[in-house]
Amino acid sequence: MSPLDDQELISRLKKKDEAALEALIAQYETKVFGLAVRFTGNHQDAEEILQDVFWTIFEKIDTFRGESKFSSWIYRIATNVALMKLRKRPKIREIPLEEELGPAMTEDGMIAEPVVDWSRLADEELDRKELDHRIEGAIGLLPLDYRSVFVLRDVEGLSAEETSRILRISIAALKSRLHRARLFLRKQLADYTQVPQSSLEADQVGMKKDEPHA
Amino acid sequence: MLKCRDIGQLLYDYVEGVLDPPIRQQLEQHLADCPGCIAFVNTYRQTITLSKELREEEIPQELQQKLQSFIKEKLHEPGFWSRLRTRLTG
Ligand SMILES: [Zn+2]
Repeated sequence: MSPLDDQELISRLKKKDEAALEALIAQYETKVFGLAVRFTGNHQDAEEILQDVFWTIFEKIDTFRGESKFSSWIYRIATNVALMKLRKRPKIREIPLEEELGPAMTEDGMIAEPVVDWSRLADEELDRKELDHRIEGAIGLLPLDYRSVFVLRDVEGLSAEETSRILRISIAALKSRLHRARLFLRKQLADYTQVPQSSLEADQVGMKKDEPHA
Repeated sequence: MLKCRDIGQLLYDYVEGVLDPPIRQQLEQHLADCPGCIAFVNTYRQTITLSKELREEEIPQELQQKLQSFIKEKLHEPGFWSRLRTRLTG
């Protein structure tokens, strides 16, 4: 079936048209899958989330009033389903405060330690796959409030406004969580880029991609 | 003169491109002779870039098929359509 525009899709879904459900899945499965993987870090949970999300949309389509973009509504359902699943996991301890995530400062507010600029390194020398793996691992260490903001805004690339509406938080809350999440990830990557290669390899042995993040 | 600590506090707005021009200018002046802050800003930006590039992951075919059979099964579950009809007709 060729892609339907959202209006057409919605009205046919409201009539419980099975072909429209198929079209919905074809159009949004990649998005929902991507989101689910970023949230949970593994395909098995993503599989269950996919199923829950599309079935929920089909069942609850009548509650969509068109006050937001259809894709925002889908993101909201997907986020809620993912968070519900993640809340059953052991709770993640808080991440450090903002001041502790940046470079150490002297008493009068100047940087007190050398800061390595690995941003170029990331393009040229670092193993990109391993770097991505590190980011995924670090996302899995973020408490859920931070993770949801980070995934929607920085990974999925939604605007700040759309993200704040989907998560029903203020722009100020979004800003502070996103900034801390970014600082936390930056620090994780900085630590990675500064570890000598040999101990890096030793470390990889204990890290499997599909392991749930405690 | 801005201090490094100020840069950290302005960083988010700077990267989002919403900093007022006069403050942005001050910030960039600080960056011009503070390698530590340049490195900090560059790596903060790079973290965002790398995360954005994570986005594209194709859904495995196996999962696609599992999703389809799950939906088919749900649609043909006994009672689904009759439950629905009751709801639709009130
Ligand atoms: Zn500085």
